[in-house]
Amino acid sequence: MVKGNWALFEEDFWSLNTILQNLIQSSSAKSVMLIDKTGQLISSIGEPPGFDVTSFSSLAAADFAANQQLAEMVGEMDFATLVHQGQNESMYLSLIANRVILVVLFDRKTSLGLVRLKARRGGEELLAVLNKLFDKLQYKNEDLSATTLGAEFTAEAESEIDSLFKE
Amino acid sequence: MSLINYSSREINCKIVYYGPGLCGKTTNLQHIYSRVPQETRGKMISLATEMDRTLFFDFLPLELGQIRGFRTRFHLYTVPGQVYYNASRKLILKGVDGIVFVADSQIDRFEANVESYMNMLDNLTEHDLTIEKIPFVMQYNKRDLPRVVPIDDLERELNPRKAPYFEAVALRGTGVFDTLKVACKLVLKTLG
Repeated sequence: MVKGNWALFEEDFWSLNTILQNLIQSSSAKSVMLIDKTGQLISSIGEPPGFDVTSFSSLAAADFAANQQLAEMVGEMDFATLVHQGQNESMYLSLIANRVILVVLFDRKTSLGLVRLKARRGGEELLAVLNKLFDKLQYKNEDLSATTLGAEFTAEAESEIDSLFKE
Repeated sequence: MSLINYSSREINCKIVYYGPGLCGKTTNLQHIYSRVPQETRGKMISLATEMDRTLFFDFLPLELGQIRGFRTRFHLYTVPGQVYYNASRKLILKGVDGIVFVADSQIDRFEANVESYMNMLDNLTEHDLTIEKIPFVMQYNKRDLPRVVPIDDLERELNPRKAPYFEAVALRGTGVFDTLKVACKLVLKTLG
């Protein structure tokens, strides 16, 4: 039986994606991503980015984590949002449910003010879905076990590891 | 922290290479990067100083491909080994699924290994983890060098819980994949 420290189910995934889609449309952003605080990509919506999203996710999480430590040093609980502004491309990051990072990538077709406003609203909607998901994970372990993957998964993954990871 | 996405059918796990400065953590990842098939590996990221010392972390994503319909990935991280980068080490341990401790076998690095090992235990405690509960593999690196500590002594000091260990020469690739394979399998077992 395979189970994760946290899992994302079909209905939650689509609820999150609908919110992200609305956020792109209302803010005129290029793309949005949801990234777990440990650096794993949860979902990416919008214009496919021309970079490696897995590496991007790990760096975005590291960026957030480093800034959180800086916040504590200057006497803040955290910096709940971060903005990186470039000449053409910019990004807005905000922490949701203390566990997930919302990243909005945007260019000069929109403004930071609009992105910030819409991301804040979208963030509230995301929070509601994520809180429900985390409740489900915490209290309904029996439901989770029904959807786990089985010993066959582990066996097959082990054989793949043996064939790929060799000299 | 492993993340299973039942909708996009993805599983991601995080393995961290820990150990004192210059023990060979980055070398392990570089060897893995150079030898796995191109379609298996993602972009390797190194946040390093101008002197090629790890500043924040190295990151290498590996993809096993589709396993029973799930894209299964291992994200490999190294921590910066130097003592004063402890804040970074703590951050990188967040959500860890498995640890490889790379020890430097040289006699004059013995104390550095012990210090780094104790530091790892402290940092795990801060994440409510213990070494007994997390998949753990020990790698004794630089076994080719002339003045090295005998394995029995290293085992006694650094591996009291008798986790699997491997002798390695990461620069030549010896022991690198043996270590990785066992670490990945132990992580999968905890999910199982």
